[in-house]
Amino acid sequence: MNGTAEKTDVVVIGGGPGGSTTATLLAKRGHRVVLLEKETFPRYQIGESLLPSTVHGIGRLLGVTEELERAAFTVKRGGSFRWGTNPVPWNFLFALAPELSGPTSYAYQVERMKFDDILLRNAARCGVDVREQSPVTEVLADGERVRGVRYTSPDGVPREVHAAFVVDASGNRSRVHQHVGGERIHSEFFRNIALFGYFEGGRRLPAPDSGNILCAAFDEGWIWYIPLSPTLTSVGAVISREHAARLRGDQEKALLGFVDRCAIVRDFLSEATRVTEGVYGEIRTRKDYSYTNSTFHRPGMVLVGDAACFIDPVFSTGVHLATYAGLLAARSINSVLAGDLPEDRVFAEFEGRYRREYRVFYEFLSAFYDMQSDEESYFWKARKVTDMDATDLEAFVTLVGGVHSGEQAFLNASADLSEAVERTGSMQTATGDEMHHLFGTPVVREVMQEMNNVQVRGVLGASVKEEPLLPDGLVPASDGLSWVDPAAAR
Amino acid sequence: MTAPLSLERVRHDVAEVLDEEPGSFTDDENLLDRGLDSIRLMSLAVRWREAGADTGYLELAKEPTVIAWYQLLEGTR
Repeated sequence: MNGTAEKTDVVVIGGGPGGSTTATLLAKRGHRVVLLEKETFPRYQIGESLLPSTVHGIGRLLGVTEELERAAFTVKRGGSFRWGTNPVPWNFLFALAPELSGPTSYAYQVERMKFDDILLRNAARCGVDVREQSPVTEVLADGERVRGVRYTSPDGVPREVHAAFVVDASGNRSRVHQHVGGERIHSEFFRNIALFGYFEGGRRLPAPDSGNILCAAFDEGWIWYIPLSPTLTSVGAVISREHAARLRGDQEKALLGFVDRCAIVRDFLSEATRVTEGVYGEIRTRKDYSYTNSTFHRPGMVLVGDAACFIDPVFSTGVHLATYAGLLAARSINSVLAGDLPEDRVFAEFEGRYRREYRVFYEFLSAFYDMQSDEESYFWKARKVTDMDATDLEAFVTLVGGVHSGEQAFLNASADLSEAVERTGSMQTATGDEMHHLFGTPVVREVMQEMNNVQVRGVLGASVKEEPLLPDGLVPASDGLSWVDPAAAR
Repeated sequence: MTAPLSLERVRHDVAEVLDEEPGSFTDDENLLDRGLDSIRLMSLAVRWREAGADTGYLELAKEPTVIAWYQLLEGTR
């Protein structure tokens, strides 16, 4: 390290939703934050379907609620699934029942170019020093802790920034996360690949579900169908990695082939044309493997978003996990910089909550894939809980959540979920709008718990009192931006 | 931990999540008309569970009035 290096409080690597959220919530507590982004925004990104806690919880903490409203994104009241035994799609709505749908019972489908840009510009307005075209080349550390980064400025000059903390929010393809130590562990079970493109003129589900994401299972996997505008639709096939070889040839032919074999999506796209120009004209692939790093933190450095972990896209969790982790990271760093709590304590809380959130979605995912019973299909057979290698399952879940609840628990969760879906019935029926069967299953209740806490905080503000989520854990301060030890406060 | 969930407490908590003055609604008024939604309902259920009641938001949703909730909470403690 040289003597001319710049000094700041926190360096955030990456300007996506995870990086913007962390940086903004640090700046709101008055800290100096340098955010280094390798590209120039707006830029393309996948992961277009949001959940309410991002919009109404994180969004309010960041102060972007009105701006998101003005952007006129497609309003999503939930997801519709052609999945399991019911041949008709069924709904997973955000409101418990239509009469209980309030001002926060919805999320958005977003063009990430626009959404991510709103969050990044807001970060800059809140005082974050945002530097685009600034790729990080090196993480600086000594035996004790991470001390800063080296990056290349837009004019090509290598520069150094030293900071008390480095936040890696640089996504799934960057290698920065390796500096935190540990290893990236993949779930053997969900090694899927996504192949996706955009269509103009696709049909919509009937109102009021027309803004919902549609996820439709077929023999070889499932397809997402996301209404980004009245006419633009994002369509992606999630298939087995064994098909990777087939995707190296004509990708358009491959995508249209999958669409052709998925009845409801084929029908919805019968009058549509694929976009072939501009940013949406390309057909893209992405490895949608579910993975988690074995550690999320070392002294001076923390991982947020896809840099830390990723889960299958079927529940629209990408932006949720990233922004939730951004909130947790900001609370933790704010606590240490204020001298409130020691670093190891707050990052134990960070990692405990983050892993819990990942685990509950992973268990939901396992139960959800298990519902789509299809003994004839290689894809679905390989993803049944009973066909999983118990050792792999146990190892992965133990790593993720600390406690493995056992194969029987997964099977019970799957049976509960199937039964709840059956009782709920098809969309566009009275029962299909009532979510109490689904919300009543333990696996869904766990998934909703912390998202609900974040959303309630966004809605009710400082009046919220939260109990510890983890045994002997910390609770958020009244402004939601740092941690408090409830034992010390009593 | 088990401070009693008095009728007064139920009124107070409901008023707080609805951002209304206590006393601005009656005990038998349907709270849906006061802007009760899923998220507020869930926050009340969480709050009362922490106070020792074994009541889920699904049960609370069936009859959303202060008096019905008070009776429900009394019965489960």
